[in-house]
Amino acid sequence: MAGQSDPQLSLFSCQEVEFLAEDELVQIIPNMKMEALHMICGDFGPFLPQIAVNVPLWLAVALKKRAKCVVSIPEWMSVEKLTQVLEAERESPREFQPLPFHYIEISRLIFDHARDDIPDVYMVRSLIEDIRDVRFHKVESGLETISGRTHAVKLKNLSAMEVNIVRPFVIRALQAFYKHDSPQIIPQPEASGSGSRRPQVADRGPRRDLRPR
Amino acid sequence: MARYYDLDDIITEDEGTSVIFQVGANGVGLLDPSSENNNVEKGSKVDLPFWLAHELYLRKAVTINFPACFNQKIRKEIQADAACVDLKIQCPYFYEFGCKIIPLTGDKTLGSFLQYAFTSRYKEALSKSHGAGTSPKFLNRLTIEETHLFEAARCSMINLKKWRLGGCRLEKAAILGRKRKSV
Repeated sequence: MAGQSDPQLSLFSCQEVEFLAEDELVQIIPNMKMEALHMICGDFGPFLPQIAVNVPLWLAVALKKRAKCVVSIPEWMSVEKLTQVLEAERESPREFQPLPFHYIEISRLIFDHARDDIPDVYMVRSLIEDIRDVRFHKVESGLETISGRTHAVKLKNLSAMEVNIVRPFVIRALQAFYKHDSPQIIPQPEASGSGSRRPQVADRGPRRDLRPR
Repeated sequence: MARYYDLDDIITEDEGTSVIFQVGANGVGLLDPSSENNNVEKGSKVDLPFWLAHELYLRKAVTINFPACFNQKIRKEIQADAACVDLKIQCPYFYEFGCKIIPLTGDKTLGSFLQYAFTSRYKEALSKSHGAGTSPKFLNRLTIEETHLFEAARCSMINLKKWRLGGCRLEKAAILGRKRKSV
């Protein structure tokens, strides 16, 4: 992507991931009247007082800063939902619960700019922190099982920020494992003679998923 | 040649390798500190950087002694407790150097040994790098490649913490800070 701060590592900074998250839609309840906005990504509005409308998060934040709207908190950010998710995360040590792809960034933006619109803000905040910690611990224990046989890692329902955190580490680790497992380094018994290298590579065991599908 | 511009690769090839000359060489006495005239005798044991040893080996001028950092003692230590072995003091580019020396020594077990060492030390780095504090003692034991791995993980954790705590969200462009020059 063009705006990456470190194209060499194909790495996003946290701020860049946050920027991407600002395109997610949230519902707001405006308190002013305004014509529809025609953007490249679509039309938003028209804005009428007390009529809910979906807008991108960046627009919601901009309107909120000018006190032109109330952000209605997404359904997944309610205390009940988050408690359920947290419990499910703790119960299944090998699976991730479905949450919005940008849940860390969205919650952070809403906490920063629209904290007065959230009922039980402290509760919600600590629940999200807990969920994040539990999930990250799972990622870590999953990564421990990587070995030379791992060709790809499948992590279902992982969120953008979580992927972004482990990306530099995982890329390097996988490269190192791949190098040490190459047939030139570890002579394989069937490699004797003039057998071509291709079949061996295909022969290196089944792909190991980190998580069941 | 594929990694011609890779600094780490260049430094790896600078690693000292002990070789035995199979032919006498005239005019290269500086390679052998013990030589009295300017020649290296046949059968003398000399320490050469790997890149030179490699080229001479290809021309059948030298044979390569097995490097000390992969000897049985180290292997035993790795098997006992991989995470506690100070590999940096053995060879800062332990894995890369090992991979390069394999075709020259024809040792069939070295490859799997390297893989075993990396796999068992990797777990230690994983848990330590994403966790909170780490002792500098642990960092000193890592090879360069492991240090890169460790730093990659730690940097992203630090960045995440910084981002979560917030702070100044709007950054000033560098150009705005400057004072206007008086004309």
